[in-house]
Amino acid sequence: MPETTTTAAVEKRIMLDLDRCIECKSCMAACYYGHGRITGLSFVDIGPALLPVVCRQCSAPACVEVCPAKAMKRDARGVVARGIFMCRGCGSCVRACPFGMLSLELAGHQVAKCDLCEDRLAQGLAPRCAAVCPTGALRFATAAEIEGEGLVVLGGRIVGDHPIQRR
Amino acid sequence: MCSEPSAAVVETPAARCLLCNVGCPVRIRKGGPDRYLPDSPARDAGYAGLCGRGSVLADLLDHPDRLLNASRCTAGGCQEIGLAAAMQEAAAALEEKGAAPVSGFMETGAVPFSGRAKGTVPFSQRREKGTAPFAAAIIADGNLDLDTLAAAGRLAASVGAAWSVFVPPSDAGLVHGLDAGGSAFIGPEDLADADAILIVGNAYATHPVAAHWVFEARKARPRMPVLVMADASGVTADYATSVFQPRLRSGEAACAVAAILTGQTDALGPEARTLATWRDRLRGCKSLAIVVGAELDYADARALGTEVARLAAELGAKVCPLTTYGAAWGAVRLAASAGAVPIETILAEAPRTLLVMGVDLDSSLGRAAVGPALDKVVNLIYAGPMVNRTSRRASLMLPAAFPFEVAGRALLGPGREVRFGPLLRPPAGVPTIREILAALGSSADEKGAAPVSGFMETGAVPFSAKGTVPFSQRREKGTAPFADGPGAPGEGLLVAPAQDPFHFADGNLTRSAAWPQIVRPRPVLAMAEIDAQAAGLVDRGRAVVEGPGGSVEVEVAAGSTQRPGQARISAAFAEVRDMFGWTWDGRRPGEPVRARVRKV
Repeated sequence: MPETTTTAAVEKRIMLDLDRCIECKSCMAACYYGHGRITGLSFVDIGPALLPVVCRQCSAPACVEVCPAKAMKRDARGVVARGIFMCRGCGSCVRACPFGMLSLELAGHQVAKCDLCEDRLAQGLAPRCAAVCPTGALRFATAAEIEGEGLVVLGGRIVGDHPIQRR
Repeated sequence: MCSEPSAAVVETPAARCLLCNVGCPVRIRKGGPDRYLPDSPARDAGYAGLCGRGSVLADLLDHPDRLLNASRCTAGGCQEIGLAAAMQEAAAALEEKGAAPVSGFMETGAVPFSGRAKGTVPFSQRREKGTAPFAAAIIADGNLDLDTLAAAGRLAASVGAAWSVFVPPSDAGLVHGLDAGGSAFIGPEDLADADAILIVGNAYATHPVAAHWVFEARKARPRMPVLVMADASGVTADYATSVFQPRLRSGEAACAVAAILTGQTDALGPEARTLATWRDRLRGCKSLAIVVGAELDYADARALGTEVARLAAELGAKVCPLTTYGAAWGAVRLAASAGAVPIETILAEAPRTLLVMGVDLDSSLGRAAVGPALDKVVNLIYAGPMVNRTSRRASLMLPAAFPFEVAGRALLGPGREVRFGPLLRPPAGVPTIREILAALGSSADEKGAAPVSGFMETGAVPFSAKGTVPFSQRREKGTAPFADGPGAPGEGLLVAPAQDPFHFADGNLTRSAAWPQIVRPRPVLAMAEIDAQAAGLVDRGRAVVEGPGGSVEVEVAAGSTQRPGQARISAAFAEVRDMFGWTWDGRRPGEPVRARVRKV
């Protein structure tokens, strides 16, 4: 697990504004290059749109529970990250994740896992995917901040102008 | 997963991504011995983000196909030689007159640089009467900085060679068409102030960062109209308040823009009636913006630009042009003012010596359009940063820096001149193209004050007057060539090129920016469900498309957004562009073709 430079709890999470994502995959490219050519972000095809999905940083993460190598850990700040030297690529975490956020496609015998861009987080910056998103669809914010803008938060990580009406 | 180490960060001066004319500022930092990160620790990236293509710039720096040494190539293979020796050979070849003397061709300036050419005159006869073919020629990539392009022009003049600037035909056509119209122009950042926006083309897919300001405008005015004229399967259409999808025949987009003014939509099909309502919706707007994208290979981009300029003048709108080459606007203006000839003229002449700088002609235009000419060239000299299909034909290869590894200036659009620094310095021993030109005899201006002043401020591309006849009228007179209408049974589908970022794969200097491997770029054929069923195909199945220039295997995307009998295919793949079989005398680059589709 990367060395942490702050122990303050990370309240913010990566949120996806459904009404702004143009499927450009900028987030994926930024994640890929920022993490040694492994991407911790994937896309899911929901039919009308292809949307990015990112780790929810669960408070009781199943991936941590099942990891036989103790590579997955949730640190004091609430960030669930993976130790690159300990991961064996067994795929237990992939199967355990109830949200399907982890991919079984291994890169270098390792499972890719979002760490909220540890290096940027330490500098008070947003993770790369949110920083590069041209339309502001990916946001690094708290639910309260999002709701303060008059937007609706759905399921904790999804944002929209309206709970039902889309685009 | 662990982020790259942030230690040993090497900040460089601001550079610009010129993979489109949004021209985002980009920074890079070294995150290891051979790792570069498209990032800025100090602030968020770019203007308002950075698209995937901009991120890929970092990937090119240590790309395995990078040219690092000069080579002399024969049928037996390539042999590395010293850079100085290679320069001498190249200079001698350019000076060599051969059997074909250089004539007064350079002074005529009568040949249109691009646009919808008069396809009825064979190219071999287009040269001015009484002039002889030239022995040497230079083709420079239009995404080089302006001073380098000017140096190429000076080298051509000093050795008596013809020269040309390669800009994608769609970009060149759009610049010509718009520059002739005297429109008021804005940059993408000004879109945030618009109270209504008309978007022509799939701008969100080809220029994701430009979409930022459209969203900002909508955030301020949630009920503002965003009218989109583009393929309905594109993401831009998803966010439109009203969509019109032109048919895939050449000229349809230009005619549709004209129809907004005239209200004459009969020739465009019943669904075009919606266009008649657009004018009324747009007329009352105080700050109307028209976004027009030079979609890859629009064969009718010049006519489209002309009609957009006309519409903008009538409605008092400002035009935000988006080109696929970031530096296209300046390159086209410079080429026009500095005596460059159309690229097809050079290819028609097949000079004895041809110096190609940075552009992969084979991949950009398709082998049918350039192969026969390049096969006749005796001395093909390639100077560029990477190996590509054109460099593999070369008898002499010179390594060169990427355009983003040098400082320079570019004209992103009217009134949008930018100066930029290098993203990083080129590898040791790799010269810039400007240095190569100087070594070959260009009268390099050390201060960077290239003799190109005057054109930056004006909107007058010299030979643009021919585009003033309304496209709709030209169509009625039958002077504009059109692709076929609905085909007879067995003729195949009418297939047009499409660009979207998912299938961005390979090509020339600019298009060599491939997506990360994980995306697995692959060509996709978007077709109507009914056509797919008729061919025994299923959604996401595999098919072979056989066109005039060859065949290509693709993934099928069957749906309701394409009209029966028409289909779009990802154009960013060299083999797809070969399939179209574009030529200069027949179907010009960008035009749809009839193709058969069968199951693999």
